[in-house]
Amino acid sequence: MQKMLLIGLKDLRLAFRDRAALILMLLAPFLLTLGMGFVTGRFSGNADSGLSDIPVILVNLDNAQLGNALVETFSGESLAALVEPTQADSPAAARQLIDENQAAAAVIIPEGFTESVIPTAQMLSKQAEPAALQIEIYVNPTAPTSAGVIKAIVDEFLSRVEQGRITATTSILGIPGIEQMSSGQIETLAKQMFSGSDADAALSSPAIALNTGEQGADAVKFDPLAYLAPGMALMFLMYTVSYGGRSILMEKAQGTLPRLLVSPTDSWQILGGKALGIFLTGFAQMGILILASALLFQVRWGDPLGMVVLLAAAVFGASGWGMLITAAARSAGQVGAIGSAVMLMFGILGGSFINLEQMPPFIRTLSGITPNAWGLDGFTTLALGGTLTDLARPIIALLVMGAVLFAAAALLFSRSNVMKR
Amino acid sequence: MPAILEVQHLVKKYGEFTAVNDISFEIQQGEIFSLLGPNGAGKTTTISMLSTLYAPSAGDATIAGHSITKDPMSVRQVIGVVPQDLALYEDLTARENLIFWGQMYGINGKDLNRRVDEVLEQIGLTEKAKNRIKTYSGGMKRRVNIGVGLLHKPRLLFMDEPTVGIDPQSRRSILDTVKTLNQQGMTVLYTTHYMEEAAELSHRVGIIDHGQMIALGTQEELTRQVGQTDTLILHLDANDDPQALADAMKVLPGVREATASEHQVSLITPKAEDVLALVVAKASERGIKIRSLDIREPNLEAVFLNLTGRALRD
Amino acid sequence: MTKILAILRKDALVRFSGFSELLFFIILPILFTFLLSGGTPNGKQDQRIRLLVVDEAQTTLSAQIITELENSSAVRPEPMTRKQAQEQFDQRRVAAVFIIPAGLDVDSLQTGGASVDLRKQPNNLNATIIERAIQTALRKVSSVINAANNAVAQREKNAPFASEAEKTAYFDQALKNARALQENSPQRVTVLQASTPDQVEYDPRANSSAGQLITWVFIPLFGISELFAYERVTGTLRRLLTTPTHKMTYLFGTIVGQVAMALVQMLLLVGFGSLVMGLNWSRDPLALGLMLLASALAAAAIGTAMGTFVKTTGQANGLSIMAGMVMALMGGCWYPLELFPPAVQSLVKVFPTTWAMQGLLDLALRGRGVVDILPEVGALLGFATLFFALGIWRFRYE
Repeated sequence: MQKMLLIGLKDLRLAFRDRAALILMLLAPFLLTLGMGFVTGRFSGNADSGLSDIPVILVNLDNAQLGNALVETFSGESLAALVEPTQADSPAAARQLIDENQAAAAVIIPEGFTESVIPTAQMLSKQAEPAALQIEIYVNPTAPTSAGVIKAIVDEFLSRVEQGRITATTSILGIPGIEQMSSGQIETLAKQMFSGSDADAALSSPAIALNTGEQGADAVKFDPLAYLAPGMALMFLMYTVSYGGRSILMEKAQGTLPRLLVSPTDSWQILGGKALGIFLTGFAQMGILILASALLFQVRWGDPLGMVVLLAAAVFGASGWGMLITAAARSAGQVGAIGSAVMLMFGILGGSFINLEQMPPFIRTLSGITPNAWGLDGFTTLALGGTLTDLARPIIALLVMGAVLFAAAALLFSRSNVMKR
Repeated sequence: MPAILEVQHLVKKYGEFTAVNDISFEIQQGEIFSLLGPNGAGKTTTISMLSTLYAPSAGDATIAGHSITKDPMSVRQVIGVVPQDLALYEDLTARENLIFWGQMYGINGKDLNRRVDEVLEQIGLTEKAKNRIKTYSGGMKRRVNIGVGLLHKPRLLFMDEPTVGIDPQSRRSILDTVKTLNQQGMTVLYTTHYMEEAAELSHRVGIIDHGQMIALGTQEELTRQVGQTDTLILHLDANDDPQALADAMKVLPGVREATASEHQVSLITPKAEDVLALVVAKASERGIKIRSLDIREPNLEAVFLNLTGRALRD
Repeated sequence: MTKILAILRKDALVRFSGFSELLFFIILPILFTFLLSGGTPNGKQDQRIRLLVVDEAQTTLSAQIITELENSSAVRPEPMTRKQAQEQFDQRRVAAVFIIPAGLDVDSLQTGGASVDLRKQPNNLNATIIERAIQTALRKVSSVINAANNAVAQREKNAPFASEAEKTAYFDQALKNARALQENSPQRVTVLQASTPDQVEYDPRANSSAGQLITWVFIPLFGISELFAYERVTGTLRRLLTTPTHKMTYLFGTIVGQVAMALVQMLLLVGFGSLVMGLNWSRDPLALGLMLLASALAAAAIGTAMGTFVKTTGQANGLSIMAGMVMALMGGCWYPLELFPPAVQSLVKVFPTTWAMQGLLDLALRGRGVVDILPEVGALLGFATLFFALGIWRFRYE
């Protein structure tokens, strides 16, 4: 037992002395987390939705009630952080700006828009509905998400407008003696109703209330880095565990392994020691990264006990993969190459880069083979205020993963001649 | 016969440190010249300058008439280099390596293929030519290393400690190869810290120490310098302390020098027979058993010891 | 020059001597492009955001709401039981769950107090979009009832009803009118894509194709540093300098060789994007070729500069992967640039990857041509010049 520990500690020391390995073990995940922080706006204090200050060009040719209202909406308080509106004089000028990639979208309100919406006598008689004037949204193809948000804002505005129109029209239609009124009278009435209904808040909001609750919203404000930082750390953990495995094959080539083998040490002790070394190195790596992000980026990781147990389980699961790759490979170079490939594959499959929501089901299932997916699940639960008990599923999955893989690796090792004297 | 290599007052300084301090010598066409000296003497630095890798701080050398400082490209065309560390692409086969290096020497097409076949034959690797170098034994790799230096039929071959750290069989094979090449007309500059190699191979030897040429000439000329001296080598038990014995031997009359090395003591004396009895008595007085005795005629080791007071090998 | 070709051949043989290089050269990039584009090779799959809908009311009203959602361009409703939905939500496999509680019908609407629940994952852009879409749907469904209610209220103000029955009748008529009006609601908005010389369809997978191309090509080009380190460490560079081959021939041959291999790699990935994913890369081959070449040169230059200070192949390998990934991330190769905060969008212009990405997207999404990508090409060539100068000036031969 003690020999295993000694071998493990020796490997841990060697790993942290290897400057080249430290680049990918510590520096890369750290820098990537830093980058993610910038990219998601976490460091600029605007991490709410990842989109902010969307540039939009407004052209108000209507200059009447509705056109002005739409411009008001965009310039108003509630959307102040989300959009950055500027006005242009002409549609051509606005479109030009979009063509030059200067904004996400241009919203062009045609002349006479308000007129076309307010119910007129013609509309009421249901004769020849005049062709509706359309607001044009001119979209920048390279900014589809931003443009989508603009479109959603305009859609919402228009749906309120439409609701007002329907409400006013319906009321007017029901007035007894409406057919006898003159066009002028009807129009005045319509205008009255329309403005009235506009002001009436109760009518412009849907009758069905939408209760939204963010998961644990009261408890903890979610920090995107609490998801992204462990994602990066877990991805590079896979590099670390394969690095450790590489050392077994390198020792064989170097000659220190045969020397170990002729010492009074059981080959299983040696392997066990190596596996322990991998585990300790991985644990140290994750520990350092977590501490660093907690201190430097103020990432709130959550319950410390749950964190430590989850960490151990994740490293255990990953180490299993490291040992399996080592057992199956024939040279140190192969382990390195396979290790890097696996690191990247697991990174993407496990959700380190992208949310797995949009993926087809079979990929979501496949992600279960990665320690990344389970680890991330656990870390996110912790970040949202969960404790050790909430982590049962991922921890058990990781332990099972590790156990199965270690067993498989052991089998392969006993068959190969790595450990032969 | 004109000298193929003329070194004139070559100097190399690194800041304050002088690695090569005013070295001059010549090599005649068709001879094997050894540069003999301990580790750190400046052999590799000298040969690096001559192969146009480093610019000298002062001095110059001409090889086949071309100056290393003024016309290095022409020098490279006529020299072959076999560096101390293997300089080969391990992932390529022997053939692929030779082809690449041949191309770097400007050999192409059918000429190249022919030359590669010839060299493979010369180094005895025709059968294994299609295997990757990483599968070769150390000795085989060294042979390819030499082969690369031969491709363009150089006039002068530099070999920098080619036998360091290899098994006796491969070493024997390399020494034989050098002799064969020389018989075929190749001039060789061979650096080493193994006296036996220098002794076996060379026509002339230059002994270098601390960046300076301290002796230069044929082996007879050099050994004559130290006069009549024998070297008496006492082989000791593993547990005995050679240094203590050497110190005790130094004071004996007739012992000029006594040096200790691993499990042995070397004594320089004018005539071995004269001191033999004293030496054996001194050893048994100290309770040290002499396992065996060698009497050596004067040799390069002795020359070096005489000149510097130190052994060639540390 | 034959020597340059010889160097090219040697480098190709050394690089592809093992299978693992193929992995990084073509297999992984294709896999990543595929996965990051949503696992859909041909984009025919529904791109809308998944929304789980739990309908416990099962009334005409709830059905109407769901129909509205189905017509939405943003979300794709998926009916599910509460238990299933909760499970998926807890496992964070879906952005939001929409629950229509029992008892939601027209009556509850009239009496007020009708409500529905939306559970959102925190800090999730999709969830925010879903919320808006649901609001719009709810509004649409309830507006007719609102309108009818309002008509009744207005009428009552002027002339109160004689009886409940009259009121109900009036309400029903108003509702009918309102429905008719809604059905004939005209389309008041039109969305136009910025004019492009050809008809370029927006394809979100262009982002992943371009982004992965840049990532997987830049990393091995940064790996030129590893090549130099390897030759330095094994002594082959030193040996080369004793041959009658100029230093510049060696540098040029090595760099050109790697750039050529990178171009091959890029063409393979572009081919995959065009043929398998149906993206529009082949619209303007000259412009595309120019962009790819400029990008490769910039990356090769940085690799060369990196090669001046790395000492071992291990260091070089780690640095190239790290630098490649960080620059790719910051350049918008993994997440679209439009999602970055505006300040950061300007900041990342210091990375060549940003320019490369911009140029490729200009070609694929905005249907631009050679003239329009000249700024990006210029920036990339600027990077190339700067870093080549640095690398060659500081190049150590041992």
